[in-house]
Amino acid sequence: MTSRNSTLRRGALWLVALALLTVWAFPVLWGLLTSFKSERDVLAYPPKVFFTPTLDNYREVMFGGASILPNLWSSMVLSASTTLLTMLFAVPAAYALARLRYPGKRASGFYVLATQMLPPVGLIIPFYLVLQKIGGLDSYSGLTAIYLTFSLPFAVWLMVSYFEDIPYEMEEAALLDRAGRLRTLWYVILPQVRGGMAVTTIFVFLNAWNEFLFAVVLGGSKVRPVTVAMYNFISLEQTQWARLAAGAMLAMAPVILIGLFAQRHIVKGLTVGAVKGGGRR
Amino acid sequence: MAVATGGTRSLAAQERRFAFALLAPALLALLLVTTAPLVYLAWNSLNRIDLGMPWMSGFAGLDNYAKMGADPRFWNSLWLTLIYTASTVVLQVVVGLSLALLVLQIPKGQGVLRVGAILPIVLAPVVVGLFWRTLVLAPDVGLVDVATRALGLGSHNWLGDPQLALISVIAIHTWQWTPFAFLVLLATLSTLPGDIFEAARLDRAGAWQRFRYITLPMIRPAIVMVVIMRMMTALSAFAAIFAVTGGGPGSSTEILNLYAYRTSFTELNIGYGSSLAMVLLGITLAVSWLMFRLRKAKS
Repeated sequence: MTSRNSTLRRGALWLVALALLTVWAFPVLWGLLTSFKSERDVLAYPPKVFFTPTLDNYREVMFGGASILPNLWSSMVLSASTTLLTMLFAVPAAYALARLRYPGKRASGFYVLATQMLPPVGLIIPFYLVLQKIGGLDSYSGLTAIYLTFSLPFAVWLMVSYFEDIPYEMEEAALLDRAGRLRTLWYVILPQVRGGMAVTTIFVFLNAWNEFLFAVVLGGSKVRPVTVAMYNFISLEQTQWARLAAGAMLAMAPVILIGLFAQRHIVKGLTVGAVKGGGRR
Repeated sequence: MAVATGGTRSLAAQERRFAFALLAPALLALLLVTTAPLVYLAWNSLNRIDLGMPWMSGFAGLDNYAKMGADPRFWNSLWLTLIYTASTVVLQVVVGLSLALLVLQIPKGQGVLRVGAILPIVLAPVVVGLFWRTLVLAPDVGLVDVATRALGLGSHNWLGDPQLALISVIAIHTWQWTPFAFLVLLATLSTLPGDIFEAARLDRAGAWQRFRYITLPMIRPAIVMVVIMRMMTALSAFAAIFAVTGGGPGSSTEILNLYAYRTSFTELNIGYGSSLAMVLLGITLAVSWLMFRLRKAKS
């Protein structure tokens, strides 16, 4: 009796879980399906699940008139430079915040946390005015600078929580060996937070890749990441949904792949941020 | 003895110098890209800056702020911000927590669910918006419309009707970010020690009592943190709404964030846009201050 009950219960749980998975995965899977349809099949009612697949949409968005390849390159350059610069600044700062004693420690920590709370729309107005004056619109350096506003505070706080997990003894032993602070940090501490650095890198890259507001205002014909290209696509070609789906699949392929392969790391990063404070997304 | 104290003092000084050297690049960068622009924003909000009529520009004192009182579009956007933030955050936490409690009871296959839950989170909000606008919510061929028609509820103009449009953008935001609450709470729940529940069960505590008096207090810090982070995201939500409705129809999905953007970059009224952004900044800081106070008081 009890075992039959528990089988029933497990079955019901699985059903709910399956429904859940469907709701979350469906738009993406449906988009994937749509990207292989002809435009006529997209507009069919009832919607077609079985159809003759075509690669025309992908051919068009890659090699057609409005190719998405330059936009993918734009996103790549922008995300890579943002990630590199962010990690370069964030890792040392996080170590100091987590481990070293110095006056003004609380205040500096609070300052980093506070900069994370700033609404993007408040930052974009002054950036636009200044970049317009110095001719910095539509440039990688201008956009990388404003991308630091969300990536740097986030990365610092995430890294702080990883540094805090290292046992003090390791550091003390290295220092007693007269290893020097910089050498200790480089050879003893950093290898310990390799996992945390990987998680932080992934997050910063994802956020930079997905950014839209800054890119649509400060970008232009030269620097146009995939997010802006997708938006422009729908305002120009309102009804070409199969092509839009193909473009979106290509645009989101990097983040989807990272999401699938680094799934464990992402969940850990979200949780670390949530439990210890910090992190916007 | 004297040598030893001198040694520790110089060690402390050395540590201080090292800390400043490590911190300086990040703090200088933040000062340059966040604080300086904010000061400029505050200054702009006290000026009349109209890119369409540059000759009218000049210092205006608090005019921009005074103007808000009589601006129905501002009050509308404030109201919509409240509705949007409150409903999306409550929905995310309630749905996310319920699902986490449920999935916790499935011994195998949690991994698959986690992968499924990751999908919406990693997508760019603007792409999510475009997907929903075309494949999910479009009249006649969108999935939701197909479903309502099949159920006999008829076809609806999901993004053309003011109320349905608001519900739609709330649903989209909730769809994209509930997995975040779900994943964090699931991870927190699975770290709770099992024996305390066993003890409660032996004491004949019911499922609801166990949840109310054991689970909930133990995961409260995580819930508060999720609420703070989700509120920040909701307050600065932009790309998905922009892609789906652009703030419309009319201004029916125009939360304060979008209003500040439209005023600045569509109507080119940078001065007034800056003051609207300042109000949003004030709200954001007030909310985070309040939440952190709450967190401290509880823990």
